[in-house]
Amino acid sequence: MITATTPKPLLTLSGVCVFYGNFRAIDQIDIAVGAGEIVSIIGANGAGKTTLLKAIIGQADRVEGRICFAGAEILGSTTAAIVRSGIMLVPEGRRLFPSLTVEENLQLGWEVGRRGQIGFDDVFRLFPVLREQRRQRAGWLSGGQQQMVALGRALLANPRLLLCDEISLGLAPQVVAELYALIPAIKARGIGILIVEQDLERSLSVADRFYCLLEGRVSLAGRPAEVTHETVIRHYFGL
Amino acid sequence: MLVPWINQLLQGILLGGLYTMFATGLSLSAGVMRFVNIAHGDFIVLACFALLVLTTALGLNPVVATLIVLPFAFLFGFGLQRFLLQRVVGQNVLLVILVTFGLSIIIENGLLEGFGADTRKVSGGWLETATVALGQGINVGLFQVFTFIAAVALVAVLDLLLYRTGIGAKIRAVSDDVAAADLIGLSSGRIYAVAMGISFVTVGIAAGFMSIWTNFDPASGPTRLLIAFEVVVLGGLGSLWGSLAGGIVLGIAQSIGGQWDITWQMLAGHIIFLLVLAVRPQGLFPRY
Amino acid sequence: MRSASRLSLNLARLVCAAAVAAAAAAPLLLSQNDVVLLTEFMSMLVLAIMWNLLAGYADIVTVGQHAFVGVGAYAFFGFTALAGLDPYLSIPLAGVAALAIAVPAMALVFRLRTAYLAIGTWVVAEVLMLIAGKLDAFGGGSGTSLPISIVLSFGRTRGDRLAVIYWLAFALAATAMLATYVLLRSRIGVGLTAMRDNEEGAAAVGVNITYARILCFLGTAPFLGMAGAIITLQKLRIAPPASFSITDWTVFVIFNVVIGGIGSFEGPIIGTIVYFVLRQYLSGLGPVHLILLGSFSIITILVERRGLWGLVRRMLDDDLLPIAHKPSPAFRASALLLRAARR
Repeated sequence: MITATTPKPLLTLSGVCVFYGNFRAIDQIDIAVGAGEIVSIIGANGAGKTTLLKAIIGQADRVEGRICFAGAEILGSTTAAIVRSGIMLVPEGRRLFPSLTVEENLQLGWEVGRRGQIGFDDVFRLFPVLREQRRQRAGWLSGGQQQMVALGRALLANPRLLLCDEISLGLAPQVVAELYALIPAIKARGIGILIVEQDLERSLSVADRFYCLLEGRVSLAGRPAEVTHETVIRHYFGL
Repeated sequence: MLVPWINQLLQGILLGGLYTMFATGLSLSAGVMRFVNIAHGDFIVLACFALLVLTTALGLNPVVATLIVLPFAFLFGFGLQRFLLQRVVGQNVLLVILVTFGLSIIIENGLLEGFGADTRKVSGGWLETATVALGQGINVGLFQVFTFIAAVALVAVLDLLLYRTGIGAKIRAVSDDVAAADLIGLSSGRIYAVAMGISFVTVGIAAGFMSIWTNFDPASGPTRLLIAFEVVVLGGLGSLWGSLAGGIVLGIAQSIGGQWDITWQMLAGHIIFLLVLAVRPQGLFPRY
Repeated sequence: MRSASRLSLNLARLVCAAAVAAAAAAPLLLSQNDVVLLTEFMSMLVLAIMWNLLAGYADIVTVGQHAFVGVGAYAFFGFTALAGLDPYLSIPLAGVAALAIAVPAMALVFRLRTAYLAIGTWVVAEVLMLIAGKLDAFGGGSGTSLPISIVLSFGRTRGDRLAVIYWLAFALAATAMLATYVLLRSRIGVGLTAMRDNEEGAAAVGVNITYARILCFLGTAPFLGMAGAIITLQKLRIAPPASFSITDWTVFVIFNVVIGGIGSFEGPIIGTIVYFVLRQYLSGLGPVHLILLGSFSIITILVERRGLWGLVRRMLDDDLLPIAHKPSPAFRASALLLRAARR
């Protein structure tokens, strides 16, 4: 029975394991993200955060368990099909195509995604600087501007669920603050957001709920307001 | 006294057009997929034999025959990449070299088995013998002029395709960072296959002009590969317009070398290539 | 189970040792035709070992190996027939000449990477063959025969001569094998193997890879040149297309190594044996022979890229010759821990 107070989750992972060879990088994880919900995945280096995102997007070698998105099983689908169904990744390190122009990078997001309301104008309204730079090669932009292109590229795919991998990495604090200030606007469009972030404070400040990973398992889950800082730290390092 | 040299210079420039055609497909596949198809020259010769069959057995006009071959060339290149080369690409460059090397030997000997070692040619009719007089006793072949114009057009069209179309942007994207392309749902395997298909269309076009311009036999492939390779390196890796320049440089070198002493034709081209490699390894017009 | 496998492995090593001993005595045991065949086998084996060292370990795929075979053939002819040097001395000198050509060739082709380097070596071979065809003293484009006096200096009768040439080829093959074995067991070899398996690994071993690749490229040249000299002694003539034959000295060699097992010490040996066995049945087929070999090698790459030896190796727990230094259990454990920590 689905009740009105707990909306049907957009994405559910049940009993998911991810392997590298014989090494179990993710071990029996259960995670859910609802539409218009911001969920944060926190955890130390090597806890399996990026691996988790790769498993969702269909880029991990061996995955077991169930991954359901919008009521359909997506485990085993190609990345292209998953992206078309409405999940888009903002990869760690931005991963733009440096020799392509800003506009071409954005256009690729539009082409791989599903049809929807978000268009170039919306992206340029969010990031006005990109309109000026749209003929510039992406490789020549500053780190912050590159991250804007990566976010814009993902938004143009009109995702229902956005996966953000370490978007603050290597950026000046002020730029990070600006980027995070835009997250509520994205959420307001009903897009679910799964954030992976090293920066604990930043990540918890925007999240509706969070999961803490430790050595491939969920060591703590809840709402940021409901747990103390000390509890989080304890589960973060497994003390 | 000067006239024969000017004549050779002109012939060399025109020959450069044909060489550019050999090179464009190799430049595309090498630039995008970061491997060199060692069977490239043999595929050109294979297409020449296909044209020979179409024009002699079916009596088709060479232009019509070439147009028929092109879609099949695309499908062939697409399939070759999708079902054979994709299995080894990305693992280890060694494997791709060895697979295409094996293909080269199979094609060469398959043609030898099927057609014998005889030298062949496709007849271009009146076009082959028509010349344009430029005064001072200098004549250039009309067909050679057509070939050069077609080569320039081919480079221009490929340039537009690569830099002004959606599929071009995708091809450049996987060329930039194939792993990133996969992460955002651009299927790199499919895009590679399309790029190889386009490369094979240029192989078909090059064969159309080569089969009328020169004699060929089953063992002609390696020479074409070496020419295409030298043109690509001379022009600067991945630079299409550079290929045109590289083709012309190589054409002139061979033509002038041949005027001095006919046995020096091939050697002069190779030596120019090695000299440029020694002093300017990035090529004449590097892309970056 | 394990001990049974170990037993068969030791048995195989014993068989190999017996085979080497028999090979050394071959001219005393076999007919003249068989000695000719076996001489060819030894030359091909040298070429296969050298190509495998470059492609399988040093990450240098060359399609221009025939260049140095041809240079060796021409240099041997030049030293002995034109300069009048001692015929036996001319064989190592042919190796020196190949080395002398390899230095500038390397300076040029090492400017190119991987696949480009492969075709670059081919261009160099083409240039050398075309130049060889312009040397009038060497018979120009059609080549020339070895003077009879030089041929006779290797033995008065055909039987003596064949035996001497065979022993030269055998000695070269044995030296090539020994040199490769020593190289692969050395620090440089360990570094190359580490690089082949994992880029970071080589850096960890602390071997300068550029230096190692240069050493391998230059190291193979004298062996190829001396093989060229011995091949010339067998064929009794030089000619640009034959002495610089890409089919004989490169294409077949690549197929041998790929089918036998690239990147292993045993691979080229197995591949060359298979090649000679197949040739008995297939050489009558003309072009089909090469089509089949090409198809075999592509299938090998797709199915088991370590070749026939890779297939056999799955069933054994060690190489015939212990090339790899086996890590101690403690080392293995720490490597595992390191890998786990990196995740």
